[in-house]
Amino acid sequence: MLKLDAVTVRFGGLTAVNAVSLDMPAAGILGLVGPNGAGKTTLFNAISGLVKPGTGAIRFAGNDISRWPQYRRARAGLGRTFQIPQPLAQLTVRENLLVAQRFGAGAVDRQRLDEILALVNLLAKADCDAATALSLSELKALEVAKALATDPQLLLLDEVLAGMESESKRAFRGMLQQVHERFRVGLLIIEHDIETISALCPRVVVLNFGEVIADGAPGQVFRDPRVIESYTGQATA
Amino acid sequence: MTRPSRFAWVLLLAGLYVGVPQVFGGDLYLMSNIVAALTIGGIALSWSLLGNLGGMVSFGHAAFVGVGAYVSALAVMKLGAPVFAGMILGGIGAALASILIAPALRLRGPYFALSILAYAHIFKIIATEWKSLTNGSGGLSSIPRFPEWAGFDFGSKTGSYFIVLTLVLLFAGIYHLVRRSDYGLALRAMHDSEAATRVVGVNSLLLKALMLLLSAFMAGVMGAFNAHYINFLEPDYAFSTLWTTLPIVAAIFGGYRTIAGPLVGAMGVYLVDQLVFKSLIPSGHQVILGALLIGMILWSPGGLLPPLIRLFNRRAHAQA
Repeated sequence: MLKLDAVTVRFGGLTAVNAVSLDMPAAGILGLVGPNGAGKTTLFNAISGLVKPGTGAIRFAGNDISRWPQYRRARAGLGRTFQIPQPLAQLTVRENLLVAQRFGAGAVDRQRLDEILALVNLLAKADCDAATALSLSELKALEVAKALATDPQLLLLDEVLAGMESESKRAFRGMLQQVHERFRVGLLIIEHDIETISALCPRVVVLNFGEVIADGAPGQVFRDPRVIESYTGQATA
Repeated sequence: MTRPSRFAWVLLLAGLYVGVPQVFGGDLYLMSNIVAALTIGGIALSWSLLGNLGGMVSFGHAAFVGVGAYVSALAVMKLGAPVFAGMILGGIGAALASILIAPALRLRGPYFALSILAYAHIFKIIATEWKSLTNGSGGLSSIPRFPEWAGFDFGSKTGSYFIVLTLVLLFAGIYHLVRRSDYGLALRAMHDSEAATRVVGVNSLLLKALMLLLSAFMAGVMGAFNAHYINFLEPDYAFSTLWTTLPIVAAIFGGYRTIAGPLVGAMGVYLVDQLVFKSLIPSGHQVILGALLIGMILWSPGGLLPPLIRLFNRRAHAQA
């Protein structure tokens, strides 16, 4: 499904992502963790096309998409959310999804659109102004719904649960699980909360200074001394 | 906003197509001012389509107006094309010219505005220097006027009025359809969040290029209309910066986010300036216009039309 082959992204002298290779099977759930500045979001930006990798190849569903423009990646089934929600301003919630569906999936399917809205609990606010009428967790839900409307095979979720209190976090987690099962969509999740990651992801990849330092089941990865060191900044005895 | 009824539309069209020529048709001075105002209005409409839907501020519409005028005039004079076909060719010529500026669509805000300003001058230079084709700064004279059709002389003041009115209404209709379409929705979304629209599959650069193309076509046709209406062209006139600034003033005055705004603005700005201010201060009458524009931007940045509509709606509610 998604295959990264030694992907490197540099900003001037700074190497934000350094030779990251990753193989993600179809319709799986993969957690991407690491301390701040580890290069997680930059890696997302490279996969979704916001930045172009200096070297390396990004393969998705059998195609080398490294040089594809963003809109083409979206149409090919690669959806993403932004850490800071970016609703399509001036549009209603439903129109947000309508644009995503019309241009990302290719055709409007109102029944499916309502299904998505119901799943993320936004049906009651479907005709509200997206930029002004939603709470933070609703804006995050809209990010997911908008990406889902493009009919993706893989969703890149950039800290969709950050900033929520624990109860809505759990509800949101359940919603993501449902999204995964109902629409058979793969999830690649950036998240800091270890409880969330452990509950959702059978596999976790840890980035530090732009490099993969661990890859495995959450129980095993979060006990890895190198991972603990990357977070605490000191070697454990 | 309350929607105007079908009856109101019929009334408006009847007033424009029958009433205006009946009442003012005899006053050639007034009619020529109305035709000029509608010409500015059509360009203002094309400018605000690009600004409102495409999110781009153009300081280069004079280029599209001038190219449209020259292409149409030359197609009729050198190739013997019928005048109306020439006008369409003028629009196509302007649209093709807009493709040259398409690379600048990656630029935003003032950077785009500056690059299109520079770009507009290139065409003026071409029209001046390509003497074998355009007769340089000597200009083109005796550009064929609008023909007689079915016993009606479209070359007359009233005939030209019908042509420009039809063009403007046609363009307003196209604008309305585009805005209402899925593309209009995506364009509206791009305005504040271009990155977010791209990741849901919108080819934002292509959409912006299409708006530029459509806007240039409209401005080109208006320029072509003007060429056959006044029968004379020279580079300084055809590419005059007034073709950029007057429509901008009109669009902002009326409210460039609405379709009727630029038209109402053009009628108001141009007619009031020509018929009222000019008689008050024969030279330098634009000063009043400038002061009014500053006031407008300060107190009603959305233009004249939105507060008027609010006022109208409040009255309607009060009476109901």
